[in-house]
Amino acid sequence: MSVLTVARDDFTNARRSYAVLGVVGVLTAIVALIFVSEIGVYDDPYRTLFDVSFFLFLVFPIVLAPLTYLAIAGDRDGGAIKYAMGLPNSRAEYVFGKLLSRLGVTLAAVVLAVGVGFLVALATFVNAPDVLMFATFAGVSLLFAFAFVGIYVGISALTASRSRAMLGVFGAYFVLVPFWFGFLPVISLTALLGTAADLLGTDLSQNTVQFVQALSPATAYLYSTEIVYQSVLPNPAYQGMTATFTEVPDEIYRKFWFNAVVMFAWGAVSMLVGYLSFRRSELG
Amino acid sequence: MPAIETDGLTRRFGDLTAVDALNLTVEEGEVFGFLGPNGAGKSTTINMLLGFLKPSEGTATVLGHDASGQSRAVRQRTGLLPEGFELYENLTGREHVVSAIRTKNADDDPDHLIERVGLEPEAARRRAGGYSKGMTQRLALAVALVGNPDLLILDEPSSGLDPKGAKLLREIVHEEADRGATVFFSSHILGQVEQVCDRVGIMNKGEMVAVDTIDALRDQMGAESLVEAEVAGSPDTEAVAGLDGVRAVTVDGSHVEIACTQPAAKMPALRALDDAATVTDIAVEDADLEALFERYTGDDTGSSEPSDGAGQAPDAVAATGGGDA
Repeated sequence: MSVLTVARDDFTNARRSYAVLGVVGVLTAIVALIFVSEIGVYDDPYRTLFDVSFFLFLVFPIVLAPLTYLAIAGDRDGGAIKYAMGLPNSRAEYVFGKLLSRLGVTLAAVVLAVGVGFLVALATFVNAPDVLMFATFAGVSLLFAFAFVGIYVGISALTASRSRAMLGVFGAYFVLVPFWFGFLPVISLTALLGTAADLLGTDLSQNTVQFVQALSPATAYLYSTEIVYQSVLPNPAYQGMTATFTEVPDEIYRKFWFNAVVMFAWGAVSMLVGYLSFRRSELG
Repeated sequence: MPAIETDGLTRRFGDLTAVDALNLTVEEGEVFGFLGPNGAGKSTTINMLLGFLKPSEGTATVLGHDASGQSRAVRQRTGLLPEGFELYENLTGREHVVSAIRTKNADDDPDHLIERVGLEPEAARRRAGGYSKGMTQRLALAVALVGNPDLLILDEPSSGLDPKGAKLLREIVHEEADRGATVFFSSHILGQVEQVCDRVGIMNKGEMVAVDTIDALRDQMGAESLVEAEVAGSPDTEAVAGLDGVRAVTVDGSHVEIACTQPAAKMPALRALDDAATVTDIAVEDADLEALFERYTGDDTGSSEPSDGAGQAPDAVAATGGGDA
């Protein structure tokens, strides 16, 4: 199985890189900091997880970018691909070995960050953190990470140079997170949809807009974290959080399975597109 | 079955034809020198042989497999030392070799391979990111040797190697050839392939302009030697010019050049010259393949390239100066 050899080499190479260690360390430190700063604010660690999920929603795709965008484009740009592809690796083994390795790095980052958050909560919060809840949170965050690692490694497989891969990755982030979710007041997908609807002389129902928004992996992640808090909500002490997760329409886009499929599909389809392009691409 | 066979192999990049209808046969077990200046299309050809690039036209068959369709089977039995590559900076040299052994399902001892290419064991345990060019080349050679490949493709293998390394490389090429492997040795420097290759092919501007053995190429040069002498006074060179094997004698003041078509004519010519004048200094220059190589690959203004000329002799020999004096 040379896909495992490719993955092992890439993982070892990443594990010893100060850049990778730095990025994972910063992510872990920020998550720990969120817990530390809320020690006296909330009694329940899961309330802090809710804040962490917002942070991850916005920042995790940015954190994942430097961990992934050079996976294949960097090898092509620098020439290491001649070492890897001079050996009897198929294009598929090479691409999916790279994906596997970067998913491994991401897994380590999520487990480390959530684990450190758990420990801080265990040591300092009034109520002890729930292992199952933290594990579920880590699982959902991993699914989110899978989407973006798939997208970024897919983009890396599409491009032959570092600079293009970087442009592609940040373009994808901008479109999928701020633009799609509507974070920016002027430039957003919903604003565009509204304009288009106006021009066509129709109205967009709130449901349609939310459905479209839920098709972004980032929005899907926010929605999907509902599954983490099922056993503890509603809780009158946390009004905003209760409102976010309990007063939701009974629509398909608020179902966990749908959100999970959206995240998985983004990662898987992007990888497939990246692989199909790389399979036909020219090296050298 | 030839180790490498290309049929009308062509590769274009936009308007540029990097490799133009290349017909090349490298027999099993031979050491083939693939020569040409930078940009002649050597690496493009190699990239097509390995399936990195697809031919625009034509086909390449390597070890009986189609190079673009069955590239993996080709690479399973081929050892590659690529040009312009990089190693994984945070992996040690030894880890690269171990991975290659694993990928090829070979059973080599990585330390033996590392020793064979002259890489220090301590260096092999350091990260490859800190390697010099020479160490990188040695490591890549070790990777290429994994699994006793039937074909070794070495693209500019001597670049960055010190003389000791270059000698080791030649020894390894000989050893591999003795084992029965075919070696495809690409270089832009003739001197490097001259000593190891059975046959050479000279590429220029995407075309193969000559394919032959080193000896045959030497014959094409007329095997001419040039004896240069400094003499006191202006000698009468008629006796020298009349000798067998002396083609021409040129006198320019006190400087005499004797062009000999046979090596054995050099001493009699010198003796005859010594009789005619007082010789103060001599120098002998032997037939120079470098000149032939330059002739095939240089930019001769006005004259066209030696056309399709595999084996075709150049129409004039560059090394003779002023033979009409």
